[in-house]
Amino acid sequence: MAGAAARVLIVEDTPTQAEVARALLRDLGHEIRVAETGAAAVEQALAWRPDAILMDIELPDFSGFEAMRRLRAEGLETAIIVVTAHGSVNHAVEAMREGAVDFILKPFAKARLTVTLQNALEKRALASELRDVKAQLARDRFQGFIGASPAMQAVYRTIESVAASKANVFITGESGTGKELAAEAVHRASPRRAKPFVALNCGAIPRDLLESEIFGHVKGAFTGATETRLGAARTADGGTLFLDEIGEMPLDMQVKLLRFVQTGSFQPVGSSKAERVDVRIVSATNRDPWAEVEAGRFREDLYYRLYVVPVEMPPLRERGQDVALIARHFLASIAKEEGKGFRGFAPEAERALMDYPWPGNVRQLQNVIRNIVVLHEGQRVERAMLPPMLLRGVAPRPPAEPAPGLPEPPAMPSPMPSLAPAAPIAPPPPEAAAPAWSPAPEPAPPQAIEPLAVVERRYILAALDHTGQDVPRAAALLAINPSTIYRKLQAWKAEDAKSG
Amino acid sequence: MTALRPLQLAQDRVDHPFWQCERWVVSAIDPDIAGQLAADLPREDFVRIIRTFEADLGRLAQQLEAAVAARDIEAYRRAAHSLAGAAAAVGATRLERVARVAMDHRSAVDPASLAMGVRHEALAALAELSALADNPPGSD
Repeated sequence: MAGAAARVLIVEDTPTQAEVARALLRDLGHEIRVAETGAAAVEQALAWRPDAILMDIELPDFSGFEAMRRLRAEGLETAIIVVTAHGSVNHAVEAMREGAVDFILKPFAKARLTVTLQNALEKRALASELRDVKAQLARDRFQGFIGASPAMQAVYRTIESVAASKANVFITGESGTGKELAAEAVHRASPRRAKPFVALNCGAIPRDLLESEIFGHVKGAFTGATETRLGAARTADGGTLFLDEIGEMPLDMQVKLLRFVQTGSFQPVGSSKAERVDVRIVSATNRDPWAEVEAGRFREDLYYRLYVVPVEMPPLRERGQDVALIARHFLASIAKEEGKGFRGFAPEAERALMDYPWPGNVRQLQNVIRNIVVLHEGQRVERAMLPPMLLRGVAPRPPAEPAPGLPEPPAMPSPMPSLAPAAPIAPPPPEAAAPAWSPAPEPAPPQAIEPLAVVERRYILAALDHTGQDVPRAAALLAINPSTIYRKLQAWKAEDAKSG
Repeated sequence: MTALRPLQLAQDRVDHPFWQCERWVVSAIDPDIAGQLAADLPREDFVRIIRTFEADLGRLAQQLEAAVAARDIEAYRRAAHSLAGAAAAVGATRLERVARVAMDHRSAVDPASLAMGVRHEALAALAELSALADNPPGSD
């Protein structure tokens, strides 16, 4: 604001003095209004929101100090300069106590007024900037994220900085840290927000279908292509294309993606006609992308095209108090969803949550909270309700790199407004983390004929084992509801406890 | 720079070559203020200020005299306060000084004669300001 044209309200009941101030300020290029009484000053200031006010003290209805008090009570943040006559310096002292940024003695020369006003405007701009910065540093929510830790503040700042540009973004981070949510945040904070955000999990799509999923196909392009179908690139035109698990993309497909990234054009499968679209590409992987390049699994030229602005999602264990913030959020939303009365955590329970390293990150925390809510009743989560692995306080470190070919489960953002089905209590595969409760016996190969309950138990445990204790995925494989698995686990736990 | 020599002295000596050279010393206006304003602003802005000042003087002198006639000391001091402010803004220091005497509740000077003094100083200040507008500093 300093140096630029500002809005200045002159509060002065003597027309000559108002005219002098108005002429001097207008000559500096500022926009000027005049109020002749205290009441008019308050009314105009609240309606017009000036950058600065030149406030005379002696006004016909009430004093300039009273006007300042009223403006402050209304929350108006304006640089107020008190105008005072020779011999009334005490007024100036009082004015500063009342929140004026400066005072100026009457009569004032243009140079003096210029410097005083410029200083006041600069002071106001700095105060406003400082307030914004403090608000940013203190914010505990951002575009769907929950977290106030310095690590997350850095993520928020990067996303805000990059959002307005068209630069490609590359998100890295362990499983469950919220990479997809970060991609959505980039989109929502960008000028593309009104256009589509299209997410594609490269690891979850059979390699033969990946090209068609991204670029679409024309009718008859291959067996089963009974209709022309738009791909993700076309659907995302004008918006953002999120390529999750980009490291899983086969090398031959990487060549086609590189051409698309370079030219913005592509050919749908079976078509000879190139199509052009305007998309911003956000990619993500839970691996080290450069290590993938060095290992020959990821093209270096594509890496440089996509890895323009990196965003690294911090693991939950590095987010300090965010664990408690996120846990409280999940508890409130899951309890509501499940019709339970949980309202908070006992201090020891919260301490245990804070002490655990959360190798499965936010997704694991979400599933632990769901597990607790589903299996227990009460108003407060007690320490005894936590899964044993949390109480032991030991968890395997997350793998630097999951086994190739094993797709990462879809990212579960920390602050889902409506929660997705529960994911594993234990961290994602392939690490051999113990589930929240590990029932005996271990699954065995099917025998000839067994009681149905035994077979059921074995199959459920086998599915859990296969999915790395991912309850929703296990439920999906078994074509049952996840809550069925939770109920069964609870029942078996009770049975085992009874039988010793 | 002082502009506060007694008015009588200035009128007596105003034709003397010394006072011609030291015109600002005995002037009704302070050149540090009025001259600076005239130098800082476009002529039309300065003229507008003088017109506003003239209108203020007419209104406030009338209020002052009416307050004297009505023996309304509060209205008298309010008008004197506004006059002092207006005069100070354009550097009419002699007028400001008279108005401040009128504002002072400890002053023993007769309000009626102060009101006359205000009229007198106002005319002097206006005349000099008009001359300044016609011939601003640096225009020679």
